Amino acid sequence: MYQLVQFISRQRAFILFAFLEVLSLWLFYSYNNYPNAIFFNTSNYYAAKALGTSNSIREYSNLKGVNTELASENSRLNELIAKLQAQQLDKSIVNYKADSSVASRFKFVVAKVSNLTTTQFNNYITIDKGSADGLAPGMGVMSSTGVVGKIKSCSEHFSVVISILHSEYSVSAKLKSNNEIGSVKWKGVNPDVVEMTEVSRYKTVKIKDTVVTSDFNYVFPPNIIIGYVKKVGVKPDQTFHEIDVQLATNFHTLAYVYVINNKLLSEQKALEEKSGDVKAK
Amino acid sequence: MLTANSHKMTSKSLFSQVLIFVFYLLLQIFFVRQLVLFDYAFCFVYVASIILLPFEINKITLILLGFVAGITVDIFYNTVGANAAAMTLIAFLRPNVIDILTPQRGYDERQTLSLNSMGLSWFITYAASLIFIHHFVLFLLEASDWGLFLPVIAKVICSTIFTTTIVVIIQFFRRD
Repeated sequence: MYQLVQFISRQRAFILFAFLEVLSLWLFYSYNNYPNAIFFNTSNYYAAKALGTSNSIREYSNLKGVNTELASENSRLNELIAKLQAQQLDKSIVNYKADSSVASRFKFVVAKVSNLTTTQFNNYITIDKGSADGLAPGMGVMSSTGVVGKIKSCSEHFSVVISILHSEYSVSAKLKSNNEIGSVKWKGVNPDVVEMTEVSRYKTVKIKDTVVTSDFNYVFPPNIIIGYVKKVGVKPDQTFHEIDVQLATNFHTLAYVYVINNKLLSEQKALEEKSGDVKAK
Repeated sequence: MLTANSHKMTSKSLFSQVLIFVFYLLLQIFFVRQLVLFDYAFCFVYVASIILLPFEINKITLILLGFVAGITVDIFYNTVGANAAAMTLIAFLRPNVIDILTPQRGYDERQTLSLNSMGLSWFITYAASLIFIHHFVLFLLEASDWGLFLPVIAKVICSTIFTTTIVVIIQFFRRD
């Protein structure tokens, strides 16, 4: 017993080191599995508050850019209204009328960015709205220029968003000109370019074509811009195109984002799960 | 009277040590967080909070401070555990690195752990080795994908050079 105590006391530095090292690695590897473990990230109230204050300085210097972006968004929205009104008038799709609750299933919440990174392998964004404003993990996030990411965890007044610049996050996408479906994922280094995969090499892909969110998407409404085709290539022995997509959103100056709340998401998922069960039987 | 005087000295230097430790953490969190050169060179200047602690610090305190500094930075970077693991490791290895780098004549009693006292070449070798270990562990943990091994190595090397340069430059502005 005495020898044991002596051993522990002699090796106490190593034991402490081993304990803290295992604790750190355990935190690191388990963190991704617990979306509500909010103490150790920037949705922690004090951390978010501190970063918000320091961010307000950066924000002030970006005001000019933000104004132009907002102005261009206004004009885009006006265009959209006009287009929708026109469609209503000519009723081009006969016999189809979207259920009113389906047509208005997306609700938007505006939030301000209080912290973001673009240069790590896995980037996150902290925003200043949380569960008190009806946000929940899994909701999509977009900016005035395009897709931004998906909510990972919420505290009462803050949320952490997995940015599209995250090595394990992909978005279902399509090419606007020919509706080819694929998925978009970040390659891990350049924060302005993502990669689109799963588009068959026998389809034509045009440079500068717009890449938008597809219709098979739980979190985003269809046709939200992701970016523009920059480079097309095919790896030998592969059946898919390798497409570099220039992101439409400039993550370096991101200031305001919209959180998309799909009000019918749980209904759709529950129905699909139920029908999946029937098929299995 | 002599003992009272020396006691006063230690509590004063303890206070300034705490200030330096906190200074590097604040510097990291509020100022150099967005500082990146060419997408590859990152600045983790807060590693200096452990590197610059005095020679005579006790090993247990060193490891605990390493963990605390790491986890604090993790909270602001959303990388829970990665910085903590890297910092705990270099805090544990620091005494060994100091042993390996012992000059032929041994360390002088009056020498303190600073650029002025130890000389440029000793200081850079010492700081760069610990910074390299820290960055290697940190970037490897974060990459979590062997396909990224080459970019990781490039990032580790560029960032080690960048961080070491900043740490050395700050040392030039110290008054002691």
